[in-house]
Amino acid sequence: MTTEGQATWRNGVRDVAPIILGIVPFGLIFGVTAADADIDQLAAWASSFLLFAGVSQLAIVEVLGSDGIAITALLTAVVLNSRHLMYSADMGCYTADEPLRTKIGIAYLLTDQAYLVSTSRFGDPDNSDGLTSFYFGAALTLWGTWQITTTAGLLVGNFIPKSWELGFAIPLTFLALLILAVKSKPGLVAAVVGGSVAVATIGLPLGLGLICGAAAGVGAGLISEKRFA
Amino acid sequence: MTMWIVVVLAGIATFSMRFVFIALFGVIAVPPLLARALRYVAPAVLAAITVPAFVAPGALFDPINAFVPAGILGGLAAWRSKSIGAAFAVGLPALWLINWLV
Repeated sequence: MTTEGQATWRNGVRDVAPIILGIVPFGLIFGVTAADADIDQLAAWASSFLLFAGVSQLAIVEVLGSDGIAITALLTAVVLNSRHLMYSADMGCYTADEPLRTKIGIAYLLTDQAYLVSTSRFGDPDNSDGLTSFYFGAALTLWGTWQITTTAGLLVGNFIPKSWELGFAIPLTFLALLILAVKSKPGLVAAVVGGSVAVATIGLPLGLGLICGAAAGVGAGLISEKRFA
Repeated sequence: MTMWIVVVLAGIATFSMRFVFIALFGVIAVPPLLARALRYVAPAVLAAITVPAFVAPGALFDPINAFVPAGILGGLAAWRSKSIGAAFAVGLPALWLINWLV
């Protein structure tokens, strides 16, 4: 029986709707970038459902499109996506009782955005009735949007004028997600340290600066907890 | 062919990383330290992606570029409205204006 106030897939669709505004230009940009690059177009298109991880898809196109070697492209993508290990661990707290095929579906659809809207809505794993429905509502909306917009971007390719600066939508998306994710003082410390360390280690290869920043930020958040407790 | 191999292998690796703890947490309890650390994953990772994208576009440190003021305005809009759409409604026109002025 559905209790009053329990979240449904419709709530998931509704909560993810503003994020869709950020995904549409992101998906178009990926498609346009891929159409422009000297790479296998069909493989770039297939990456939207084989990988379904925009930042790493974009990274692969950039590395291979600029004569980078396969192993560099692969390592860049894996390092960039290693943050999903941490999302996976967090989502696991909410989905322990789900059947295997539901877990597989949740894992396949796991993205920054699906993770963030779900954990924003359900702060407490012990009080998460309706999370799975909510999650699939949000995650499938994101998935469908990503498939449609990346395909459209590949098709329209060069017809979008550069002066629109649609590439700026990517950092703007991450900035807005970051602002919504900072909800406490230790969270702010994690963000400031994570961002600073990532900038300081920008010269590291394989996208390792991102991982250094993330690790330092998490550590700083944990240490600062005591000060703000 | 190279692109296909990279995409398929990265796809397998990414699914594995997304699945491993969702699969394991059904049988293993979350260590308390890990549970605490996870609260800082989102702000730390998102900042590590975002800040370099603004102050070091193209992996070169360059804190004075049009992205920074446009990002500050877009960020303020997102913060005030608690919405990502507002970041676009303010940030993109701000960038167009700055590029037109400078």
